Amino acid sequence: MIDLVDYFLTLIVTAMIVNLGLALYGIFFRPSMIKKIIALTILGDTANTFAIILGYRRWPSPKTPSRPPVLVNYTDATPDTLKEFVGRAVDPLPQALVLTAIVIGLAVTLFMVFLTLQIYRAYGTTDMRKIKKLKG
Amino acid sequence: MRHSIAIVSLVLFVLSMALLLTLAKQAYIPRKEVRDLAKIYLNTTYNPWNKKFTAMSPEGVTAIVWDYRGLDTVFETAVFYLAIIGSIALARGIGKYSKPTSDEKKLGLSLIVKTVTRITTVSIIAVAVSIALHGHLTPGGGFQGGATAAVAPLLILIAFSQYFLLERGVSKDLMLVIRSLGLAGIGLTAIAAYFIGVAMNKYAFVLQNQAKPLSEVSIPAYIDGQLISGTLWFFNISEFFAVMAGFTIVLILLVIPERAFKSSGGEEK
Repeated sequence: MIDLVDYFLTLIVTAMIVNLGLALYGIFFRPSMIKKIIALTILGDTANTFAIILGYRRWPSPKTPSRPPVLVNYTDATPDTLKEFVGRAVDPLPQALVLTAIVIGLAVTLFMVFLTLQIYRAYGTTDMRKIKKLKG
Repeated sequence: MRHSIAIVSLVLFVLSMALLLTLAKQAYIPRKEVRDLAKIYLNTTYNPWNKKFTAMSPEGVTAIVWDYRGLDTVFETAVFYLAIIGSIALARGIGKYSKPTSDEKKLGLSLIVKTVTRITTVSIIAVAVSIALHGHLTPGGGFQGGATAAVAPLLILIAFSQYFLLERGVSKDLMLVIRSLGLAGIGLTAIAAYFIGVAMNKYAFVLQNQAKPLSEVSIPAYIDGQLISGTLWFFNISEFFAVMAGFTIVLILLVIPERAFKSSGGEEK
């Protein structure tokens, strides 16, 4: 008999790999620049989710779920609570990398939207096949 | 019809592939133990009993972003601003343009949308400032707070029109000033420990927060009994203003009306 938790975790990873493929298809084969930007954001978000799931840790026991890397009761922390925190918290490093990647991704997306808008103003189209043939 | 067949076959492929991998014992299972590197981060992020290595921040992610990997984040801010500067460069050479009508009620969306925007904008700003100021205690920080705060000018631009913002002084130039102040704050906080070290005639590093074995210089972690985690609080505030102003610049440039581009020349031939 299969373990349902294993099945759903594998389902998430498989779906994300298929998502990466779909996003790459959108970037390379869709002619509209807007569709390319949408596909690029999907690619970026999938990559971020991959990083997050790599840093996840299994529940140490069914009664003690893994928790975010934030020490909530820092005012009355003792060496014991710190040890329990280290034993349960997930890996903070992927989260720190993803956090900046999201904001930079938003800025780059805004830049590309602006670029597409200017191309539309200059050429009257966002279709890559037509822009390629235009001159000046 | 063709699209729905493609979607159904993709979903079936994903479901069956995951089932196959699980049956073949190749399932993805996260480990119960994190890596040793993560353990070092978790163990020293807030550790008053290990004064030599701690970052004095209960929030592990902010500690990594601005303390352990501070230089990395400074360069990521540079990448962020390259994108913003690219947008500003694309919008160059736009002439002055005037308001289409002086009646403010005719601009923007309906009264209902405007009233709701008036209420939500205030709460968005309040939440964003709270996210940024508590970044070293709870999940959040300068990046997240700034990105949240940039939603408020976006709502105003769409619900009230850009002239509402411009007439109240929120212009591209003001945002450039705020952005510069934020970036200067990041730079000053980064070299603060170094100059304290120079003044005290001790060794200190750039981007140093708490005392390390090689240098005893330390930015105070508590001010008046409140935990501010040394440099992290100042970094978060500066980054909040920098990110918020950067996004607002691009949003203001995005809503410049079409006729302004037409009248500027150069773009149109």
